[in-house]
Amino acid sequence: MSDPTFTIATSVDDALAALANGARPIAGGSDLFVGARQGKAPLPESIIAIDRLAELATIEATSAGTRIGAMVNHATLMTDPTVVADFTAIADAAALVGSPATRNVGTIGGNVMNGSPAMDTGAPLVVLGATAHLQSQNGSRNVTLDELWIGPSRTSAAPDELCIGLDIPARPERSGSAYVRLEYRRAMEIAVVGAAAHVALDDSGNLAEVSVALTAVAPTILAVDGLDSLVGQSVDDSTLASVAERASEVATPISDLRASDAYRRHTVGVMARRAVDAAARRAQGEQIAVPVNRALGIGASA
Amino acid sequence: MANATEQKPAPRFVRADGPDKVTGSGRYVADMSLTGMLHAKFRYAGVAHATIDKIDTSAAETIPGVVSVLTAADVPDVIYSPVVPDRRLFAQDVVRFEGEIIAAVAATTPEIAQQAVDAIVFEYTERPVVDDLEAAMAPDAPLVHEDWESYAVTGDTPRDRNVATFSSIAKGDADAGMAEADMVVKGRYVADGCHAAPIEPRGVLAQWEGTKVTIWTSTQVPFDARNGVCETLGLASNHVRIIVPHLGGGFGGKCGFHFEAHIAALARDARRPVKLVFSREEEFIAPDRRRESMIVDLETGLRSDGTIVARRGWVAVENGAYTADAAFFPQLAAMHVAGPYKMDNVKIDASLVYTNRQPSGSVRAPTAPQACWACESHTDELARALDMDPVEFRKKNAIDTGDTGAVGQVYDEIGMQECIEAATSAIDYGKDLPENEAIGVAIGWWPSFPGPSGAFVRLDADGLGQIVTGAQECGTGAVMTLRQLAADELGMDPEDFQIIYQDTGVGPYDTGATGSQTLLNNGRAVVDAAQQIAEQLRVHAAEQLEAAAGDIVLVDGAAHVAGSPDRSIPIPALAEVAAEGEQLLGKGSGTPPAYPDIPGMNCVGDQGVAAWAAPQFSCHAVHVRLDPDTGVTRVLNVSCAHDSGTIINPIAAHGQVEGGVMMGIGQALTEGTQYSDDGRQLNAALLEYKLQTFADLPTITTAFIQTPTTEAGPRGAKGLAEAPNVPTAAAIANGIAKLVGQPVRKLPMTAERVWEASQ
Repeated sequence: MSDPTFTIATSVDDALAALANGARPIAGGSDLFVGARQGKAPLPESIIAIDRLAELATIEATSAGTRIGAMVNHATLMTDPTVVADFTAIADAAALVGSPATRNVGTIGGNVMNGSPAMDTGAPLVVLGATAHLQSQNGSRNVTLDELWIGPSRTSAAPDELCIGLDIPARPERSGSAYVRLEYRRAMEIAVVGAAAHVALDDSGNLAEVSVALTAVAPTILAVDGLDSLVGQSVDDSTLASVAERASEVATPISDLRASDAYRRHTVGVMARRAVDAAARRAQGEQIAVPVNRALGIGASA
Repeated sequence: MANATEQKPAPRFVRADGPDKVTGSGRYVADMSLTGMLHAKFRYAGVAHATIDKIDTSAAETIPGVVSVLTAADVPDVIYSPVVPDRRLFAQDVVRFEGEIIAAVAATTPEIAQQAVDAIVFEYTERPVVDDLEAAMAPDAPLVHEDWESYAVTGDTPRDRNVATFSSIAKGDADAGMAEADMVVKGRYVADGCHAAPIEPRGVLAQWEGTKVTIWTSTQVPFDARNGVCETLGLASNHVRIIVPHLGGGFGGKCGFHFEAHIAALARDARRPVKLVFSREEEFIAPDRRRESMIVDLETGLRSDGTIVARRGWVAVENGAYTADAAFFPQLAAMHVAGPYKMDNVKIDASLVYTNRQPSGSVRAPTAPQACWACESHTDELARALDMDPVEFRKKNAIDTGDTGAVGQVYDEIGMQECIEAATSAIDYGKDLPENEAIGVAIGWWPSFPGPSGAFVRLDADGLGQIVTGAQECGTGAVMTLRQLAADELGMDPEDFQIIYQDTGVGPYDTGATGSQTLLNNGRAVVDAAQQIAEQLRVHAAEQLEAAAGDIVLVDGAAHVAGSPDRSIPIPALAEVAAEGEQLLGKGSGTPPAYPDIPGMNCVGDQGVAAWAAPQFSCHAVHVRLDPDTGVTRVLNVSCAHDSGTIINPIAAHGQVEGGVMMGIGQALTEGTQYSDDGRQLNAALLEYKLQTFADLPTITTAFIQTPTTEAGPRGAKGLAEAPNVPTAAAIANGIAKLVGQPVRKLPMTAERVWEASQ
C-alpha cells in the first residue's frame, strides 16, 4: 500500500492526467470527507483537488443555453442573477442545502457526480433538461442525467472522466421552474422527499410544457412520465391533483429513519403539486422569492 | 403578587466566560495535551444482551504503540451506583446494552488505539433483548439482571425482577372518587427516549503524580466524578482531583460519574497521561444519560361542573440496562402525571423498568417533559369532554396559594395562576387565527433542590476579589452570576471579581450543575462568605471613620457612615490595611432552605421527590401552524411565564427560558431515539437525530412572576434551569391536537405521526 497522495490541480489538463492515473477528484469535499468519516467509503488513495480551477467556477452563456461550471458552489447558485431568473428551481434547491458552510464549499458538479437520490439540485436539473459535460484525456461528451445516474451514488461516468459543467438549454418564453422539498427543520436538513417542476405556458395561459422530477423516492432522481395529457390544460386544482396522483404513483420510495414509504409516497405528491403550482405562477410572471419553501411556507416553513 | 418584590435594576456585566467561549480562546478537555500523553479508545459490546464467552486482548496488546489494555480483570471488582448499585466499570459475565464497555486501550495515537480495540476478540452468546416496557414487566419476561435480588439497594425502594424501582403517590381513595364521577376520560401517551446532545462530545484526561491523580474531564458534577473514581478504584478523596476546563454544555447528559475511572486506570497502568475524546456517535451511545422513554396511562374522573374528583395513573419509565441516577424517576414522573392540580383522590403507580438499552439518567428536568406532555394532553382532553375552554379548565383546577397538591403538600405563596394569566394574555389567547393555526397551552411545575454547598471569597490587598467555589458552570450562567451576588454584598462591581471554579482540589463541595441548584445553594454560600468580608470591611472603616461598624454601609466601591456619603473610604484602601493583618477571607456555606414536611403522606417507594421545596411554576402558550397535507408543524411564537421566585440575573434567566423552549420544541417535534429490533440506536448522529437549529427559532417572550418565597435561595430565588424545559412539548401538543382534532399520543410528534393522526 503506497502512501496516500493529495495533489492540487492547476489546470483541467492536470486534473484529467491525474484521473487517468487513477486519482479521484475532490471539489468541496462535503460528500467525500463526510462519507469517509461516517465510514461509508474510505478516502481514495490518490486525490486530485480541482477546487482552484477558476475556469470551472463560472456561469456562462453558450450557443445552446447556459453552462454552469462544475465548481460553482451552492451559495453562488442561490444568488446568481442568471440562475435565479432563468433556472429558478436550481436556486430554490441550492438555498435549502445544508448550512452556509456546506453551501459555500459544496459544488453542483460534486453534487451531480455524487449521484445521491436525495440531492436537492438533481430534480431541478432534470426538469430543466440539463446534460452533464464530461471530459477525459480521450475527449468529451454530454450525457443526459438519466443516462448518468444509474443507481444510488453510482454514475455511468468512466473513472477518468471529469464533470466540467452542466449544460442547460435556454428557457422558453412564459416559463418558470420551482423546487420544493419536505423537510423537518429549516437548516442542516436533507430532503425527506422533494419535487422540481418546469412549466411553460401557451398564449392562453394553459400548459405548453410541464415536467416534474422527484427527490428521494427512487434509487435515482426520478423524472415523472405520463404528464403529456396535461398539455393544453389550465393549471387548476384538477390539473394539480393529477400531478400529485401521478407523482405518488410513479414513486418507489423506501422506509428508513426519515419516513415510511407510505408517507413518502403521499408527500411526494404534495410536493409535486406545489412545485408545479409555484412554477406556473412564476411562468405567469409572479415573483416568488427563492427558496419557494420559505416564500410559500412549505416543509419546515409551514 | 406578580413582581411584588422590589429589586434595584440588575447590573449588566460581561459574563466572565463569555469572551473565551465566543472568540474560541477557551480551552476544553479535547484541546489539552500533556507530555507523553496517550490516547484512549473503548471496545463496546456492540450487542444489546449477551453472555460473554471470551474476551481475548492478546492480539491487541502486541500491536506496536499499544501501551495498556484493560478489562474487568484489571480493576477492583466494585459494583456501584446510587440507590440501586448494579453496574461495574467493565462488563463482567454479561453485557446488557450495546454501549457497554468491555475493554479500554491506551496507545500512542488514537488510530493505533482504535486498531487495538478492533483486534480484541469478543465472543458471546446472544440473549433475548428486552426492549418493550410492558413486556419487560410480565412475570415470565427475560431478566436484564438475573441477580437483581443480590444488589445492595438503599432506601425505601420496592423492586421486582425487571422493575428496578417502584413508587406510587396516593391521596384519598381514587377508586371511590372515580365511582362518583359524572364522566371518566382515559388516555395512553407514549414517549420515545431522546438525548441531551451537548455540543461538546466529552473528553477525559488523567495524569498521575505518585499516588495522586488529576483528571480533567467534561463533567457537570466534579465531586460526583471524584467520588466515583474513589469508589471504583479504591482511592482516598484527597488523592483524586477533578478539574473541568470549559464545559461545552451538558443539559444533564454530563451529570453523574462516567468514564473518569477508566481513563485514570489506563493512565496508572501505562504510567503516562491518557486522554479520551468521544466521537459524536459515542456521545450518543455510551453515556448512561439518555432521556427515558415512557408510557403513561391516565384516567380522570370529572364532575360535570368541571372539577376533578379522581385520577388513576400507570407509568412505566425506561431505566435501560443499568440504574444510573434514575431511582427517583418513577416518583418524579408520578408527580408530573398528577400535575399542579387540585384533586382529592389520586393513585399513580410508576415503575422504573430495565431494558437492554442505554441507561437513562438526568437529562434536564428528568421525566418532566414527557410526563407533563401526557398530563397536559390529557388535561385538554378533559376540557374537550366538558366542552370547556382548556385555559378556563386550568384556571379552575390548577393549584393556587394555599391549595393542597397531589401528595398533600400545602403550597404557600405561589404564582401558578398568575403564570397562566400572563402567558395566555401576552399571546392574546382566544384571538382569531387562520384555520391551520392554533394556540396550545400547558402548565408545569418543578421542584427546587436545597443542598449543602460551599464557597470562599477573598479580597486581595488591591481590593480586587476572587470567588473560589466548587460549583460547576454548565453554560447556564449560574456560576457567572455569583460575581453579582458577591459584588452586591460588598458594594462593589461584579467585574471586580474573578471566579476560580470547577476544581475539586480548590473549591469547597458543591453538588454541581444539576437540579437547577447552583444559584440556589452556591449563591447562598457566596453571599454568606461575602457578608463575612463585608463585616471585616465595616470594622476597618468604622475605625477610620470613628463610627460604629453597624452604621457603615458599603456602596459604589467605598465605605461610609449611613447618611454621610460625603466622607467615604474606598474599599481598596481598606483592603490595603487589612492585608497587613487579618486578611479579607470569607468562607460560606449557610443553611440550606428546609424541605416541607407533609404529615400523613401516603407514598410507597419514597425517593424524596414528592415534598417539594420552593416549587416553581410555569405556563407556556404556543402558537403553531400545521401543514395539514404533510403533518409538518411550525412553532411561530412561544409565550412563557415562570414563577421561579426572584430573578437575580435577568439576562441569564431569559437565556435559560429560551434555551429550554428550544430543547422542548426538539423533543416535541423532531428528537427521538430510534432503535433496531436488536436494541441498537439507529440515529446516533446529528443528521438523523434532528436537533432544532437557530433557523427554527420562534419568537419567545417571557414574563417572570417573582413570587416572594421564604424557604428559597438568595433573595428568594428558586431554581430556573430545568423548569423552562417542562411544558413546551405539552403546549405544542395541545396546539396540534386542536388542528388535528385529537392528540397525537406519541412523542416526538413527528410530521409523519401528525399526518397519521389526522388521517
